[in-house]
Amino acid sequence: MTTYIAPTLEMRFVLNELAGLDTVNTLPGYEEATPDLVDAVLEEAARLASEVLAPLNKTGDAEGSKLIDSKVVAPEGFADAYREFVEGGWAGLSMNPEFDGQGLPGLVSTAVDEMWNAANLSFSLCPLLTTGAVEALATHADDDLKQTYLAKMVTGEWTGTMNLTESQAGSDLAAVRTKAVPDGDHYRITGQKIFITWGDHELTENIVHLVLARLPDAPAGVKGISLFLVPKYLVNEDGSLGEHNDVHAVSLEHKLGVHASPTCVMSFGDRGGAVGYLIGEPNKGLACMFTMMNHARLGVGMQGVAIAERSLQAAVAYARDRVQGSVPGKQGRVTIIHHPDVRRMLMLMRAQTEAMRAVAYLTAAALDHSHHAPDADERAGFLTRVDLLTPVVKAWSTEVAQEVTTLGVQVHGGMGYVEETGCAQYFRDGRIITIYEGTTGIQANDLVGRKIIRDGGQGMRGLLADIEAFESQLDAAGEVCVAIKAALIEGRVALARGSDWLLQTYANDMYAPGAVAVNLLMLMGTVVGGWQMGRAALVAHDKLQRNEGDATFYQSKLTTARFYAEHVMPRAAAYLAAVLAGSESIMALDDEYF
Amino acid sequence: MKILVCVKRVVDYNVKARPKADGSGVETANVKMSMNPFDEIAVEESVRLKEAGTADEIVAVSMGVAQCQETLRTALAMGVDRGILIETDAELQPLAVAKLIKAVIEKEKPQLVLLGKQAIDDDANQTGQMFAAFLGWSQGTFASKLTVAGESVEVAREVDAGTEILSLQLPAVITTDLRLNEPRYVKLPNIMKAKKKPLDKLTPEELGVDVSPRLTVLKVTEPAQREAGIKVANAAELVGKLKNEAQVI
Amino acid sequence: MSALVVAEHLDNKLNPATLAAITAAQALGTGVDVLVAGLDCGAVAEAVAVVDGVNKVLRAESEAYAHPLAEDIAPLIVQLAPSYSHVLAPATTTGKNIMPRVAALLDVAQISDIIGVESPDTFLRPIYAGNVIATVRSSDPIKVITVRGTAFAAASSHGGSADVETVDTTESTGLSSFVRADFTASDRPELTSAEIVVSGGRGMGNTDNFKLLEEIADKLGAAIGASRAAVDAGFVPNDYQVGQTGKVVAPKLYIAVGISGAIQHLAGMKDSQIIVAINKDEEAPIFQVADYGIVGDLFEVLPQLSAELDKLKS
Ligand SMILES: Cc1cc2nc3c(=O)[nH]c(=O)nc-3n(C[C@H](O)[C@H](O)[C@H](O)COP(=O)(O)OP(=O)(O)OC[C@H]3O[C@@H](n4cnc5c(N)ncnc54)[C@H](O)[C@@H]3O)c2cc1C
Repeated sequence: MTTYIAPTLEMRFVLNELAGLDTVNTLPGYEEATPDLVDAVLEEAARLASEVLAPLNKTGDAEGSKLIDSKVVAPEGFADAYREFVEGGWAGLSMNPEFDGQGLPGLVSTAVDEMWNAANLSFSLCPLLTTGAVEALATHADDDLKQTYLAKMVTGEWTGTMNLTESQAGSDLAAVRTKAVPDGDHYRITGQKIFITWGDHELTENIVHLVLARLPDAPAGVKGISLFLVPKYLVNEDGSLGEHNDVHAVSLEHKLGVHASPTCVMSFGDRGGAVGYLIGEPNKGLACMFTMMNHARLGVGMQGVAIAERSLQAAVAYARDRVQGSVPGKQGRVTIIHHPDVRRMLMLMRAQTEAMRAVAYLTAAALDHSHHAPDADERAGFLTRVDLLTPVVKAWSTEVAQEVTTLGVQVHGGMGYVEETGCAQYFRDGRIITIYEGTTGIQANDLVGRKIIRDGGQGMRGLLADIEAFESQLDAAGEVCVAIKAALIEGRVALARGSDWLLQTYANDMYAPGAVAVNLLMLMGTVVGGWQMGRAALVAHDKLQRNEGDATFYQSKLTTARFYAEHVMPRAAAYLAAVLAGSESIMALDDEYF
Repeated sequence: MKILVCVKRVVDYNVKARPKADGSGVETANVKMSMNPFDEIAVEESVRLKEAGTADEIVAVSMGVAQCQETLRTALAMGVDRGILIETDAELQPLAVAKLIKAVIEKEKPQLVLLGKQAIDDDANQTGQMFAAFLGWSQGTFASKLTVAGESVEVAREVDAGTEILSLQLPAVITTDLRLNEPRYVKLPNIMKAKKKPLDKLTPEELGVDVSPRLTVLKVTEPAQREAGIKVANAAELVGKLKNEAQVI
Repeated sequence: MSALVVAEHLDNKLNPATLAAITAAQALGTGVDVLVAGLDCGAVAEAVAVVDGVNKVLRAESEAYAHPLAEDIAPLIVQLAPSYSHVLAPATTTGKNIMPRVAALLDVAQISDIIGVESPDTFLRPIYAGNVIATVRSSDPIKVITVRGTAFAAASSHGGSADVETVDTTESTGLSSFVRADFTASDRPELTSAEIVVSGGRGMGNTDNFKLLEEIADKLGAAIGASRAAVDAGFVPNDYQVGQTGKVVAPKLYIAVGISGAIQHLAGMKDSQIIVAINKDEEAPIFQVADYGIVGDLFEVLPQLSAELDKLKS
């Protein structure tokens, strides 16, 4: 099994050359994020990731979290690793300095989060959910709640959870039934939540649950859901911890992957009702959740990049080592990295991982601009871009991660199917990421409904215009870039056609949006990925011309971008064809014939 | 008291060094560089001495190309108070480094100087002893434990025969061995604070030190590789081979 | 001009690494004198006088040299050095402690850990944990050198007949003083000069299990070594450590038990004549340098090996 080495060279390239760290760090509040500081942050995070988190990945998988005497016990080593993580100040990397956060851009935390996730996906879910909870609280909670809870959560001394899902309410949160009844200055919560990640554990003294529930007089459906804060231990006036609240993990799921991350059935109010506090306004719970949605979805998209990178590293190491067969032009048996088909797999893994990383970091940078740009119009412009790209980063990256991790297994041959090499775990662990935080189907619906149809395709046209404006820059950059340009134009035109078709068709065919959504989303991911690979190629070309930096790195960037143009971009045409085919054959078969 | 700690930027511990194709030196272009692990132990020890109240100021010094600043920043993030970079593109050999450090010590006047017993690139194990000699100071090399008491420091040294304990008169030079401590992970807030800590730059010329090398590296090569042998089934076969084939028992 | 070798000794016994340093000095093609500094070190001086190829023994007797403190020994060597073209010492912790101090006081470079002599001013030395060998030339008038003991054969400890000459001593600097030593007492041969070394790694599991190695070592007349992992885990004291930062050994036979073979360990033993590896992990890198390997559980293999060695004896 290989250990994880954070690809800091590649990360720095994407941060500086593609995502525009140099403009993000001109935003008010982010001035400290100079490239040398970010380098130092990346180096230290890389160390913690590979020396502390990565070694627990496999043992955590084998051992799993367990429910013992009504307490969730994490695998050995997790508590120490978590303490190291918190003491190192990593939990609050991009959080508000007002609450003891470090105030670095989300862009930087995106790169650092990639490392945590690649080193240990199960572990990283805990801080990921805490970050989501912090954001919801910071934006919507009243000052009292913030004073009591926020600082401890920002530093990671307490963790946060998201209690949304119930057995009848998964993708469709309108069906939430958990009840909240006013009781003096607080509420009493009763009900059962399922699939709650890190819903209980002993890594920290306290856990802060954010819970979706209904008030007694709430209207039906999504407009009747409110958000509550329910601490595991009640917090006294003086900040000390009081009694155990009426909330417990009652069982853990046995699942395909992320074994170390406990997935809990949470029971609220077995003894009369858990004490909860309303966050934001009554019946506006879902709206509160939406404010943190872009960030959380980007976070899960990053898990796709991360697990793909981990799988790629394992596959490359194995392919360099495994001797099997021979190839023309080489004496004797060779390591499998010499076989054209193995290289095809490795290149598919590599090129798509790089493309996903670039798109994710770019979106993270846009999110930073959308919050911090001084000018309101500018902020709005960036927000449109973020809204448009977020479902793509979430769904496309996690779907492509499935392809990459399955190729990772394939490169290993039979050894990929046995657990020893670790790549089977990446494949299993990675399988959840297309499901939670909104399935691929739900993301695609979001893209076509809220992000394309709702604004009549305006945001999309802005994106297409940016791609088109870039294309001509490739002309003067040598043969490889010209080839990349041709593929990019084809892809961009395909995306425009797909999006136009949707806008023209949805009114006449009610099934069209749902039927084409995932294909359109994958088409968009592929093309936006190609755009970023083109930008990378252009930078690499310029650097090589100027004899700047690491020539092998830039040369391989160029080659990888060319591979993407030749071997991945053609998929755009296939996705388009499926989009243009519409809903007919999808909807034709009667339910009973399935 | 004031501590000076010396940190060297070297090819990272995990990188396997390879000679350049023309044998003129070791491949260092685009290779990951880090703080010499033994120096990291020295920094850690100095920070612990400060945390224990024994030291009140820690200054780190590094010599070499501009990027040595990164190494100094790491030291600052670990808890060092300020840094001094002696910037030069010239090749620096231990004798020259020792002269530069001596010049810094004369300016800074520390009571204790900590540094790694050797750097993992040239494996020389000389620098600390050399500037201790220039200054006429005591030295405790291969230190695995140190205790400051009044005007002296007691060091446990990891020597070939075991452990030897010496008492050194301050000011003293201590070179650190592996088991002195386990360096901490740098905390994120400290990385950010490190950026604001003072870092002064000097040059060998400003210090009046001639750094010309005394040794010329004529070539570097890879050592002869050992070939893997055979697997034997059991102890009986092994003893047979050792006796009859290898004739070593 | 001739070369001066600084002898290393403890408890009236000459450290055999000195004999290798004498061989290295002879390779320079000059005469070889040897300095024996200490307190009551007459016996050592006599032993050095009969070493083959030694021209003259310089004996320096003083309370100041009772323990080889660098601060006190270096001035003595510096005082003698101007009559020599080369000053050499074994690359032991003692030699490495003293010689850079000598070089600095002479304002010359020091050349560490040489493994070969190309000419009187050109030497081979390992760098980067032995991954690279550098050929270096010194332009200094006096070459101050430490010698890796495993790289040179020991000079014969008899056949010579050098005069022993008493030399002027230097004053104690009072900079440092010896407090005490915790030296591992052992009847076994010294690790760096033993003909056979049996080493244990993390795979040994605990201190008690090292008894299994002792049994084998006793039967072979071997020294016992360990990997850094075993030392860090506290199974055995630090002076057992073989490797880049421990001792460098090159015995006739090196038996590595439960040692994976990290590059840092290999750096300390890969010049052994015959290497045997016993490890249950077939992929362990140690097998790539081993002449004979047994893939198996050391707790099964060691008792069998012990029994086989008994058979050999009878
Ligand atoms: C390991 C793990 C951890 C989790 N962690 C948490 C957590 O911490 N907190 C939390 O609240 N929840 C958590 N979940 C729950 C997770 O978010 C839900 O499983 C997810 O939202 C899907 O809901 P569901 O399982 O009910 O599937 P369903 O909603 O039943 O979906 C089944 C299928 O139908 C499709 N589908 C459903 N509705 C539509 C639609 N309108 N249009 C198109 N297709 C549709 C889906 O795409 C999917 O393919 C976790 C789940 C797992 C497995």
